[in-house]
Amino acid sequence: MSQVALELKDVKKKIGKKEIIKGINLSINQGEVYGFIGPNGAGKTTTIRMIVGLMRLTGGDVKILGKSIQSDYKLAAKNIGAIVENPELYPFMTGWQNLMHYARMYQGVTKERVEEVISLVGLEKVVNDKVGKYSLGMRQRLGIAQAILHKPALLILDEPTNGLDPAGIREIRDYIRELAVKDNVAVMISSHLLSEIELMCDRIGIIQQGEVISERAVHDESTDSQLKVIFEVKQNDKAQEVFEEKELTIEKESNKLIVKLDREDIPNVVKSLIEKDVEVYGVTPIKATLEDQFLELTGGNVIE
Amino acid sequence: MSKFFKLLYNELFKTYIRKSTWVMYIVLLAIIIGGAVITSIFEDEIVTSYSDDNWQEELTQENEKLIQESEEEGGYIAEMNSSTISKNNFHLDNDIKPLGYGAWQYTYENASLLSLVSLFTIIIGAGIVSSEFKWGTIKLLLIRPISRTMILLTKFVAVLVFALITLIFTLLSSLLVGAIFFGFEGFDPYFVTSTINGYEHLSLVGETFSSYGYNIVNLIMMTTFAFMVSTIFRNNSLAIGLAIFLMLSGNMIVAAFQKYDFAKYILFANTDLKQYETGDVWIEGMTLGFSVTVLIVYFVLFMALSWVFFNKRDVAGH
Ligand SMILES: Nc1ncnc2c1ncn2[C@@H]1O[C@H](COP(=O)(O)OP(=O)(O)O)[C@@H](O)[C@H]1O
Ligand SMILES: [Mg+2]
Repeated sequence: MSQVALELKDVKKKIGKKEIIKGINLSINQGEVYGFIGPNGAGKTTTIRMIVGLMRLTGGDVKILGKSIQSDYKLAAKNIGAIVENPELYPFMTGWQNLMHYARMYQGVTKERVEEVISLVGLEKVVNDKVGKYSLGMRQRLGIAQAILHKPALLILDEPTNGLDPAGIREIRDYIRELAVKDNVAVMISSHLLSEIELMCDRIGIIQQGEVISERAVHDESTDSQLKVIFEVKQNDKAQEVFEEKELTIEKESNKLIVKLDREDIPNVVKSLIEKDVEVYGVTPIKATLEDQFLELTGGNVIE
Repeated sequence: MSKFFKLLYNELFKTYIRKSTWVMYIVLLAIIIGGAVITSIFEDEIVTSYSDDNWQEELTQENEKLIQESEEEGGYIAEMNSSTISKNNFHLDNDIKPLGYGAWQYTYENASLLSLVSLFTIIIGAGIVSSEFKWGTIKLLLIRPISRTMILLTKFVAVLVFALITLIFTLLSSLLVGAIFFGFEGFDPYFVTSTINGYEHLSLVGETFSSYGYNIVNLIMMTTFAFMVSTIFRNNSLAIGLAIFLMLSGNMIVAAFQKYDFAKYILFANTDLKQYETGDVWIEGMTLGFSVTVLIVYFVLFMALSWVFFNKRDVAGH
């Protein structure tokens, strides 16, 4: 049985006269990874700041395992681990000193636990170096380490993939899936790039101008419906003939061919291309519906 | 360790791990050593010990030399010499052997270094909250299951602990350096000094502690002020600048308003508690009880304002 780890009820934030968050409702279950997607300035960080208690709500409530962040701050905060925007740690202290500093702010986080977390995020080699010398990727990992020291029920990561290369993103995806599956942690992960976090999420909510405008499960989408597949080939004309023969819809984008088709059909199509002596350089599937929806909803200005 | 001490440890750790903090101690030590070198080189009239059976004669000779010098030079030097002469006469009249110059005497004179200790404490107090905002680390600090009140309290206490450590450092290094350069006068030496009752034979250790103690009042008030300014404005330069400006101009401010009755409520009219020992009070009718009350009111006001701003305000983006 999964329990609700995080619940937002009609959360509102007004700064001055401007309503930045206009009543957000959402809930995340234990063991679930929730993607919080929206363009820059949509209100992701503001929402997160309210969830973790850095900003006061002007309306509504936030509950972590049923405890309100407003009326039961300590009990609620005990179950949250977070990175808010950049992982800013003390640059003049080592990774180890930084983690011990945060460990002292909880009851029962032992040195052994700190060591365990360090090896989980793979920072053993640099843990005695000053954080000022760390690369962004190392700081992100240390940021994750400080967020999970006390085994929180809810982990919130605000744009953790910012500035990371694909390998770094894959690594973060692996930790997050492990935390969700093994330790039943609820994870809320925000990004302005759908493509970067889509693969690690169970569910995705799209926020724009302070409102969650759409929410849906990721896996249903990728299994049930058609994908868009980008084909990179040398002989575009020949390839186009193959697709037409199979009655597939083709979109052209510069010299790439984008084709809508079912996942199971990909090997067949590739086989036909090769039989016709088309030289194939790349076959890249993208989840059609979500991507389309995101582009549509946000005006297409944020997908890169 | 209890939660309070773990948080206090964190704050002190962050303070003392930084090189800029160590520079403060190096500067203090350099001044203490430098002061001792200068004293031993240039103040040739310093006598580090008087002989047991012959000190009366030594003092008489010293007086004769001083009288002669006064006649030749006149003016300022004559004035200075005449106070030394009357002090020597006090020794002779009361048959008190003068205390030679030594570690305690040097430490006593170094009470003026407390303005530097105050400056350093103000710098630490002005940075302890605002630096967390500057570094962006405030976010990771305030998402823990600890009330903001507790965080603010441990930060303030850490500043006081810094002040105490620095004070003890100044005292002990003055004693040590003084002992190396001038010798040690013993554990409870008595010396003759001028007070409102004329010359008196007093415990040097007692006078040293009371002199340091009087300075601590101003140190705590100005540090609390800087702590408040930096908590409200999240800007340590502003806090340091304002606190130093007020520390330097405090007496002038009181002097400017001295003829008005409200002047006695000005903080700086009350920070120097020594005025009640010397009897030379700023404004007629002020008492020790009055000043202590005014100081407490200011202190509570500074802390309450820091608390309100630290607790109520959103930690928003830059
Ligand atoms: N302290 C603040 N004062 C006024 N407006 C703010 C403040 N912080 C954020 N905003 C505004 O709120 C909106 C949402 O910002 P933010 O939550 O940072 O978005 P995101 O994280 O999705 O990029 C933006 O329009 C931003 O300009
Ligand atoms: Mg943001």
